[in-house]
Amino acid sequence: MIMRIGVLGIDIDSNNVMVLGPPLVGKTILVRTILREKIGEGFGGIYITTKDTAESVLDWFRRFDIDGVKVIDCVSRTIFSDAPDTEDIKRVSIMDLTGISVRINNFLERFLRSGKRDVVMAFDSISTVLMYMNPHTVFRFLHVLTNRIKSFGAFAFYTVDENMHDERTVAMLKQLFTGVIELRDDGERRALRYVSPSLRTEWREFTIVGDVLEVSS
Amino acid sequence: MKLGIPVLDELLKEIPRGKTLTYYIDPEVEGDIFAMQTLFKNLEEGYRCAYVTSTMSPTSLRNRFREFGWYVDEYENFSIVDAYSYYVGAESKERYVIKDPTNLDEYDDVLEKVLKENDLVVFGSLSTVLDICGDDTLEHFRRWKEMADDSVIVSNFTAWPYPDEIIEKMKELSNAVVTIGGIHHRVILGHYYGILKVDWTEVKGRAVLFKVVKPGGVRAYIPKILVTGPYNAGKSSFVHAVSNKAISVDRLGTTVALDHGKVEYKGFTIDIFGTPGQERFDPLLKVLGSEALGVILVVDSTKPETFPRAKQLLEKTTRFGLPYVVAANKQDLPNALKPEEIRRLMHLPKDVPIIPTVATKGVGVYEVLDALIGRLIGESYAESEGKT
Repeated sequence: MIMRIGVLGIDIDSNNVMVLGPPLVGKTILVRTILREKIGEGFGGIYITTKDTAESVLDWFRRFDIDGVKVIDCVSRTIFSDAPDTEDIKRVSIMDLTGISVRINNFLERFLRSGKRDVVMAFDSISTVLMYMNPHTVFRFLHVLTNRIKSFGAFAFYTVDENMHDERTVAMLKQLFTGVIELRDDGERRALRYVSPSLRTEWREFTIVGDVLEVSS
Repeated sequence: MKLGIPVLDELLKEIPRGKTLTYYIDPEVEGDIFAMQTLFKNLEEGYRCAYVTSTMSPTSLRNRFREFGWYVDEYENFSIVDAYSYYVGAESKERYVIKDPTNLDEYDDVLEKVLKENDLVVFGSLSTVLDICGDDTLEHFRRWKEMADDSVIVSNFTAWPYPDEIIEKMKELSNAVVTIGGIHHRVILGHYYGILKVDWTEVKGRAVLFKVVKPGGVRAYIPKILVTGPYNAGKSSFVHAVSNKAISVDRLGTTVALDHGKVEYKGFTIDIFGTPGQERFDPLLKVLGSEALGVILVVDSTKPETFPRAKQLLEKTTRFGLPYVVAANKQDLPNALKPEEIRRLMHLPKDVPIIPTVATKGVGVYEVLDALIGRLIGESYAESEGKT
């Protein structure tokens, strides 16, 4: 199964894609840009946020007239906020991996029952989960999640901060993802490429201005 | 102590003091509710109950209980063992606090006190304690179990893909294990629970489908029961009499579309569908039958000439081997045949329950439900509940 991401000019041939790059290179904007494009094409969208509150995420999408994103907010509960759940926002502590897993499945079930088979998901970011839980625990959690995404036929993008974790951890997690979008920043230029066992694109330069990511042609 | 979970209480009778029970939960199933429901049931009974939270703040935990209509703070016999707040850098004002949730020795100290002062101690997520503290957790769990000689420990344990030896050890350390699983098909479309192990009584394996209802908690769930029968036998009356809420589309006084009712009964949530009796709708029966779990056949006891049609409908709806019971309706009318006469005329097997009913007055309709529930999940449950 291949999914074209027009805004990046690349084809994705993996249901579960790691988005790997140094801090502040633009991983969050990249996965949001992918969701924005795909939701605009009629996909269902799920966003798991460990860095911003659900309201902040939804505001970002609304700036592009995108509504209906389902958000799992792992921030509010962790900082002891009492904000309630809504139909499209479910809040759970980042320590509650079962709770995250259950809510993802609930959203997928809702999409399935409403006849929406095309779903794209962003998990931003795995690095935050790794700050709270040990790598083996995170691996087990992702093992279950990536299998669910694959059996559903959805596409999911998981951001990971490069150089924040030891090589063994990144290597262990990479086993779960058959595709990786790599990002780099040499100080002057930013670039990205997609790598999988059967696809490898050239490095493509990109810029970020405000909320907009643009890949050079 | 009871578990407060439908069917399990009938099977396990009670949890004796000194025992541990583990809810072993599929990672994608909302199973934490089971231990919460167990705690609240015993809180209501007046037992002193403590909840060990490792995955959410005490405030979130109280809110989570509240979602199900369980106002735990109204009970003086409730307390929280806070193993969360300090882990995320916050203070705690709870009665029991674990300041270093990575330190199993501190767990030992705090739990010794907690187990002495409480009748029931619930671990909201024993697997999270294991994830944070490492594999030694289960050895410490053995100590906590020894400390609990006069109390009961109930734990949620998420079935992440742990090494087999950890799973085996967890099961070995538990006196009873209740598995909570999902029916997987692209996503999880249904949930069930069943007893994997129990060492204080003998039970036969049995899986129970369930839904989580807010407020309310775990409800044993029978996804769909069909009510079928010949034209004008009283199917719509039956669905309306037995349902808490029912809708139907009637034209010219008989049903041309489905009746649908929702029944909350003895811990079960049941969806009931009444099928049209006319032959032109028979193709529907094949589809409905393939999704149903049980069938209620309603017959007009005064019209034996409709019994061949009733038999035909039964064959169409139970072709996948569904269990069924018969409602011998209109028993208040003159010349109504008795159940045994109906059995003889319809050539029904002896073990098929035939219950006399007057659906328009609600007479006998719940006995019919009891009989079908008994056939679906075992007679003992329906019989024992029927006496209450």
